[in-house]
Order: sequence, then C-alpha cells, then structure tokens
Amino acid sequence: MFDLRPPARASFAALWVLGQATLVLTAGLRSDHIFAFRMFSEASTLDIHLSRDTKDFNVPAPRGEWAARDAAGQLRHFSWRDRVRDPVLESVDVPMFASYGLDAQLARLQHALDDVADNIEQDDETLRLRADVLVSKNGREPTAVTLLSHVRRER
Amino acid sequence: MLDVLRRWRDEVGDTHALGAARVGLGVLLFANALRAASELKAGYFGDFFHWPVLPEALVSDRNVYAFLVMGQMLLSAFVVAGHRARGALCLSALIGLYVMLCDRLQFHNNRAALFFYSLLLSFSPCDRAFSVTTASGPLWAARLAQFQLSFIYVASGGSKLFDADWRSGRVLFERFVLFGPNAIGGGVPEKIVRWASHPDFASALAKIAIATELGLAVALWSRRARAVGLWWGVWFHLAIEISSRVEGFTWLTLTIYALFSTPDLRARKLYYDPFRRGSRMIARAVAWLDWLGRFEVKSWVPDSLRKGHSVVVIRRDGTLATGLGAAAMLARCIPVLFPFWAPLALAASFTRGGDASARS
Repeated sequence: MFDLRPPARASFAALWVLGQATLVLTAGLRSDHIFAFRMFSEASTLDIHLSRDTKDFNVPAPRGEWAARDAAGQLRHFSWRDRVRDPVLESVDVPMFASYGLDAQLARLQHALDDVADNIEQDDETLRLRADVLVSKNGREPTAVTLLSHVRRER
Repeated sequence: MLDVLRRWRDEVGDTHALGAARVGLGVLLFANALRAASELKAGYFGDFFHWPVLPEALVSDRNVYAFLVMGQMLLSAFVVAGHRARGALCLSALIGLYVMLCDRLQFHNNRAALFFYSLLLSFSPCDRAFSVTTASGPLWAARLAQFQLSFIYVASGGSKLFDADWRSGRVLFERFVLFGPNAIGGGVPEKIVRWASHPDFASALAKIAIATELGLAVALWSRRARAVGLWWGVWFHLAIEISSRVEGFTWLTLTIYALFSTPDLRARKLYYDPFRRGSRMIARAVAWLDWLGRFEVKSWVPDSLRKGHSVVVIRRDGTLATGLGAAAMLARCIPVLFPFWAPLALAASFTRGGDASARS
C-alpha cells in the first residue's frame, strides 16, 4: 500500500504540494492561521476582564467568578474556569502573552464566550457574557476590544 | 525540468538516514502521546471548551479519545522498533491530525509538522534500516519530506518578511522584554538579557532570522552550501530551543535534517590503533554515534605512516585525514558532534593537510 508506483508518486507529490500551498496561502481566511506555519508571529498581550449583562445591569465577574440565582431562586456559584481550561483564555484579569497572535486569541475568546453562555443552564440571570479585553500588539499602547457572547434565551 | 522531476521520482538509494529519521520521529511521537495522556489525566478536552474544525458529531468521545491516545503510544513503539513501522507512522499521523481537527486549541505548528513528516515518511522505505531487511529503496517520499521542511521555512520566513513589525525587530524586541525575566530566572546572566533587549540588537537579529529561514530553504538543496547550511540551521534551532518553548520542534527539525545527508553507506573509513586505549574508545564512540552509517570502523596494524596517530580517516575521495582534520571529518559526519564541525574545520584549515576544503 505504501510503495506507490512511479505515476502515483508524481500525483501524490503534486497533490501534497498543492495542499500545503493552499493551507499557507489561505491562512488569512482562518482567524487562528492554523496549518500556515507562522512561527513566533507576534509578541502581543491581552488582558481579559469578564462581566455579564443581566436584565438591568452589567455586572463584573472578577477573576471569572460570579454568583447568580437559578430558576428556583437559589443562589449558585459559577466560574469561567469550569469550562475554559486553555492556559491563555482561562487567565482573567491578568495580562497574558497572546501565543499565535491577537487574532487567534480573540477568535478563541469569542468562541469561549459562546460556549460558556451555552453551558451555564442554572444561571437564570445572565443574558449574555461580555469580555472587555485590553490588547497590546507588539508592545504598542493597549487598546480596548469588547466581545459579547450570543444572547441566551430571554429570561 | 521534466528530467529533474523524473530523476526525483525514480531515485533509489541507501535508506540508512531514513531509518535514523524514523527512529527520531518515533521518539517524538511517543513524547507527544505521553503529553496527550498526561493532559487526558487532567481532563478530557471534550468536557471543556473546545473548538472543532470538524462537525461536533465527529469529535471523538472520551472513551474513543483515550483509546486513540493509548494507540498513539503503542504505534510510536512500533515506529521506533521498525516493526510495521510504515503503517504505524501513517496511523500515528492520521490520528494526530484528526485530534487537531477535533480541537483547534490543540493545534501547534510543531505537532502539525510532526504529523506531516510522519505521513510522508510512511511512504518511504524507512523500515529498511535499523532493522533486519535490506537498506536500499526509492527516495521520492524522503525528498518530499525535505521539501516540506523547506516549505515550512519559506512559510515562516515569508510571513515575517511581509510583516513590518517583524522586519523592524519590534516583535523580537518585545519578546525579549516579555520573556527576559524568565530567562534571568532560568539562569541566563542579567547582563546578556539586558544586552539582547536592546532595540538595535533585536532589529539586527530579526533580519538575521528572516534571512536564515529563507536562506535555509534554498541552501539545504545546494550541494556546495548544504553542510554550512545544516550547521547554521542546527545552531539556529538550538538557540530557539534555549530561548523559547517550542515543544519538540527543534528535535523534529534536526531529525529531518538527517534526510539531507548524502545516501552513501560506509563510504568513509576510520582506522584506529587497537593497542591504544584512547584510540579504541574513539572507535567505539564512533561506532555508537554514527547513526547515519557514514564510517566503516576498522583496526589497523600500525605501520610507518599511521605511527603516532590514534585514528586515521579515509575520506570518500580516498584522501587521508589525521589529527584535527580527522576530528573535523568526524564532527562533519556524526550528528551529535556536528555543531562543532565548522570551528574544527576552520582550525584544521590552518594545519598541514587540514580539512577546510574537505570533500566528504
């Protein structure tokens, strides 16, 4: 099976080269640029601050922890880290090195916000999660970026 | 052009370097499986936030994932042992790529490169050396793996070249600022870290890094520039290994460097004096460390020429090297000594019959 005949070798090689070239040339279409071999692409940092939008207020979630009532009115504790274990994304309120660049980390954070919003069924107060992120690209002055999870069902 | 392609497609040669690369990949695949197992112990990725490329329905569940991780460990043992190694390499690569598609948070360039190389080498006769079968076969897939390495250099160097922050040294400077304290904590003298964190130094280093990556992509294919390119590349990757966390990328790249060695088994001879302890030790060390099979090691009965020399190296072209010249020759051909080759060759060039113009 692995001993290809000469004509098949040429076809395999052509497909391989074409595939690799496609992965590299289309890197810009993927927010995290995976399979594009952009080594040490940035030296950027991000500092994530989480909060949650409720019916009336925006309530901070320091260190990614918060308490909210469930449908029965009982107070429950929630933690961002219960769902998010990625070493960069789990670090809230601490400046972190954005490995693979800011685009990659912000895209991951957006997906993480949606994921956590989908997995806090017992939180009957939070309408959506919000991340205010201070990003510094390659040592430049930090700028603020805000990401919002999708809106959970109306409560 | 067609002729070159045809020669590439039909090239047949010694597969000793392929066998060495296979063993290297096997060890790295084992290390990768071990890491995955230890992460699994802390929790299955699917129970937490993950970001699949594949549809969620195709993401492996906990039991399947545990089975895959155990399978990767077992397969890596087959790769190292050379038993059904090609199938094991292919399966390891496919499992690894599948896992990355299950969760792109697990994507790392070094892992992708490891699985790509493994997949390519599974199409090469890498199981014919460091095993009991014959050691010759088609080299097209090995050449494709070499191409993959050059491709990675071009992708990495090219992306830096088109990035103004990289070209100016801003990215490197900022990395030094961010990770300088870690380096000091790791034992690097503060003075050196402070010196390296200077913007002018970072700017110069950035240009050298870009030129190195793009230059290596070409130099490794040139018969004249290959040895110097490999030597420069070894130090380039060792410097990255010391200064950054790159998992197994350094060792992976150095493993693939083995494929760039000329496929000529035992084309050089090392004669040693069996009556000298030092001489015997050198011969034994060479026999152990000559992973690419460059030397035929033989003892001699001392005669007037060899008298006074512990070892004599006979090069591929039949010329003799002794003393520093022989040391340079050994360093050139033995992987773990290769980082010392260029300074030894330079020193040897100042001696009679030195090695600066060594043809190996």
